[in-house]
Amino acid sequence: MSKTPGSASTLARTIINKYPDIESKPLVGNKVELVVPPEMIRDIVSMIDEEVSDALPESLFGVDLTEDKYEVIYIFWSHEGKMLVQLRVSLEGETPEIETVSDIFPGLDWHERETHELYGINFKNHPDLRLLLLPDELEGKFPMRKSFLTDRSRMDETGLARPKPRPKPGGESS
Amino acid sequence: MSPDILDESSVIWFGPQHVSAHGWAAKLTIVGDYIVECDPNAGYFHRSAEKCLEFRNFRQGSMILERICMMEAFLAEYPYIAAVEKIVDLEVPERAKIMRTIMMEFNRIHSLQFWWGQFAGELGLFVMLLWPWVDREYSLDAFEELTGSRHTVSYATPGGVKYDFTPKFLAKMETALKLVKDRMPVFNDMLAGSPTFRLRTEGVGHYTAKQALKWGLSGPNIKACGIPMDLRKDDPDPNLAYDLIDWEVPVINNEEHPGESDAFDRLLQRFKEIETSLDIIEKLLPILPEGPIIDPKARSKTNRLPEGEGYGRVEGTRGVTSVWLKTMAKAQTPWRAKIRGPCFASYYSLKHIVPGARFADFPAIFGSLDPYPGWWDR
Amino acid sequence: MQFDVFTWLGGLWDWVIGVLLWLWGFLMWPFLWEGPFDFFAWFGGLWDWVLGIFLWLWGIVNWLIFWVVDFVNWIWFLVSLPENFMFLFRAIVFPGLIFILLALIFTVWYTRKIWARLQDRRGPMHMGKYGGLQLFADAIKLMSKEIIIPDKAKRWMYRILPSLLLVIVMLPFAFIPWDPYWNILGSPTSPFPDLSVSLVLVFAILTAVPVFSLLIGWVSGSKYSLIGGFRAANNQFAAEIPMVISSVGPAMLAGSLSLYSIVMAQTNIWYIVLLPINFITFFVAAIASVGTFPFDAPVADSEIIFGWRTELSGIYFTVVYFAEFAEQMLYSALMVTLFLGGFNGLPFLAGIVNFAIKWLVVFFLFIVVTSSFYRLRQDQVVHLCWKYLLPLSILNVVLVMFALVYIPGLVPLVIGG
Repeated sequence: MSKTPGSASTLARTIINKYPDIESKPLVGNKVELVVPPEMIRDIVSMIDEEVSDALPESLFGVDLTEDKYEVIYIFWSHEGKMLVQLRVSLEGETPEIETVSDIFPGLDWHERETHELYGINFKNHPDLRLLLLPDELEGKFPMRKSFLTDRSRMDETGLARPKPRPKPGGESS
Repeated sequence: MSPDILDESSVIWFGPQHVSAHGWAAKLTIVGDYIVECDPNAGYFHRSAEKCLEFRNFRQGSMILERICMMEAFLAEYPYIAAVEKIVDLEVPERAKIMRTIMMEFNRIHSLQFWWGQFAGELGLFVMLLWPWVDREYSLDAFEELTGSRHTVSYATPGGVKYDFTPKFLAKMETALKLVKDRMPVFNDMLAGSPTFRLRTEGVGHYTAKQALKWGLSGPNIKACGIPMDLRKDDPDPNLAYDLIDWEVPVINNEEHPGESDAFDRLLQRFKEIETSLDIIEKLLPILPEGPIIDPKARSKTNRLPEGEGYGRVEGTRGVTSVWLKTMAKAQTPWRAKIRGPCFASYYSLKHIVPGARFADFPAIFGSLDPYPGWWDR
Repeated sequence: MQFDVFTWLGGLWDWVIGVLLWLWGFLMWPFLWEGPFDFFAWFGGLWDWVLGIFLWLWGIVNWLIFWVVDFVNWIWFLVSLPENFMFLFRAIVFPGLIFILLALIFTVWYTRKIWARLQDRRGPMHMGKYGGLQLFADAIKLMSKEIIIPDKAKRWMYRILPSLLLVIVMLPFAFIPWDPYWNILGSPTSPFPDLSVSLVLVFAILTAVPVFSLLIGWVSGSKYSLIGGFRAANNQFAAEIPMVISSVGPAMLAGSLSLYSIVMAQTNIWYIVLLPINFITFFVAAIASVGTFPFDAPVADSEIIFGWRTELSGIYFTVVYFAEFAEQMLYSALMVTLFLGGFNGLPFLAGIVNFAIKWLVVFFLFIVVTSSFYRLRQDQVVHLCWKYLLPLSILNVVLVMFALVYIPGLVPLVIGG
């Protein structure tokens, strides 16, 4: 285990020295954001695993930016350095793809499953991409995408009865 | 495990109609009395809270969150508010900061009392199930006095808090906390002091700190391994009052197995959590200043937020609770709100902790991790 | 009126001959009678034929009616004999079935009330005074519930076994000496004055209980109930040997295996004074054998829902629920008999009252113990019973043996006056 970097900017500099493609963006406090190209995500995450001995995989989630643009955000927290690293990966396409990191951080396994079912982002080589939260009939619908309508237009899919139109006041009684 | 062992295995669904699996189901593969494989299943409580948040404005959002985990409503609603306060510049009055912190710690005590009862009930002692729950009623009475509601409190709001402390509330809170303090030795005796409890929990649900970090466990589950990882100290929210006072991070260190924890350590850890919370409330109450409880411009400022991203975090009873908020300019609702529940990780980690345990130890393991289904299903 | 089956069956032969003759008449008509074939005259014979079989059948019905009347008369004759009447009264009313059922109902109420007080609740309050009628309300509710039998269950076994379990648990109450006089078996005036092996019989009957638990778990067709059934068998396997060996001490002191004699031998001194450790081992083993709270692995609700009772519903559940309480009552009564002097006690009280007071105290101990420990795992149950209870109880037997031989004043003291 190598030394634990004291601050987020030190870590960012270490990573950028090795992978010059990465852009870093300091946030408020001892926090840093790294903009990572999708093909390098495994390198960066394993580097965080090596550099930060007590990295806590706090969160992983997708953001839908519409027009087939997506972002996947990874958040890591280190208790010893009291620092937060946020990785931002931009993806494009109808079914965007990215490499899984669930073998490096098992805690991100379910986060990836959830992002897959809610956003349709495919995590390549993920061992188990079953549905996590959704019922079976919503498989492949990707409900957290902005294009997923939540109004009455999808009433037929649910199998629920359509609400009866209200009787008009004063109408004839049947 | 060799494949011929698995020939004699049988599959048992632990839940979702199981008495102690309240809204979740784990598929257990057992061979004889031992569990060889555990596949936790989520989704039985999924109400798509994150999608709902995209249709609520910034003052309503926190009310969705507190319905996710009603046991820690004050704590659950706060990350959203913290995220909103990171994006928009609000001046939270000093009094409101301290009041929020007091209520969060009070809520933590209440949530741990609930957990005591639940855990003891899962280990088969119904006396200990009901005693903490009787005490918990006093905490709920105090919540009701303050906010008008026992569980869905919606107390904090962007820019401050909604209701001021009244003398009647302070008296009720004192009663509740005094009861907690008086009964701590009793509960300590009945849980940690009970030989049968030690028989059931020691050496059960064992993991090391390194494993726990990889799985994403946080809060008491990792503090029990001896790592003082506590967001109240590490990354104190600027609008809370944890940095105003001097307090110790509750952490236990088991000499027998340093850096590791079993179910019994996690119980001791949660006892310490209550002591710390009592300590924090005791230190905060005297320094509570007079003054306004909410930023007067909070309402107009939170109608529409500037474009930005905010990450609000709080150390919940069960671990790191956070909301990541992305807002677009001139929008009344968030573009994306990601809720990170602490139990998402602890429920997932059952997959790794449980194999190798006896079937009868399964309730002890998941009980000691304090899972709350709302946090992973949302 | 004696009934002879062969005579009666011989009537069948007459009837067959009659039918054959009747058919023969059809064939032989032209030869036997003048004139044309009269169909109606021939057909009229059918009536005789039908009447014949009715008369023949009436023979057996007649006999049955007479038999039943005779049987009832005979029973009434037996019942009207004074000693038989008293035996039946004891077996059915007091201290037999009805007394036990009422005691059971009281016990359930008592248990629930004390549990509630220990758990900082009030327990049943609304039905009747202090919730005394709550059990009746519960029983009516449970009985009126729909009975759901799982698809995979073996239906007839599923229906029969719970009632059999209750019967098995109720049987040993016949041997309990409640009173110097008012006993079902073993009282001086009853037809069976002293059943010399009643202690062994009680244990022999109780051995069947885990078999029923296991069978109910098996035939329910559910994994949870199967696991519960095995755990129940495991509990009994662990607890039975220490319990039986713990009961050897009192039997040796009294020099008898009859419960009545053991009680009669305790007029001078109760055996709990001499054998306190034996009392404790018996007590713990009894709780483990019943499978209630600290040892409730067979019905651990947070692990296996309700163990072997998971799939029972409605009346079957009620019956099994009663059986558990009846078993606790039985063990409490056994402890009173073996260690606390049975009906001996305050001289101005009736024997049964003395017994009941001690029985309530022991039952109270039962409830307090059952609500102060966490559930033990099934391997820990075996560990506890075999590693601690068994050596202690065997040690006690050895000590009693030596004490009887080498302590001079002991035998007259423990034999009783």
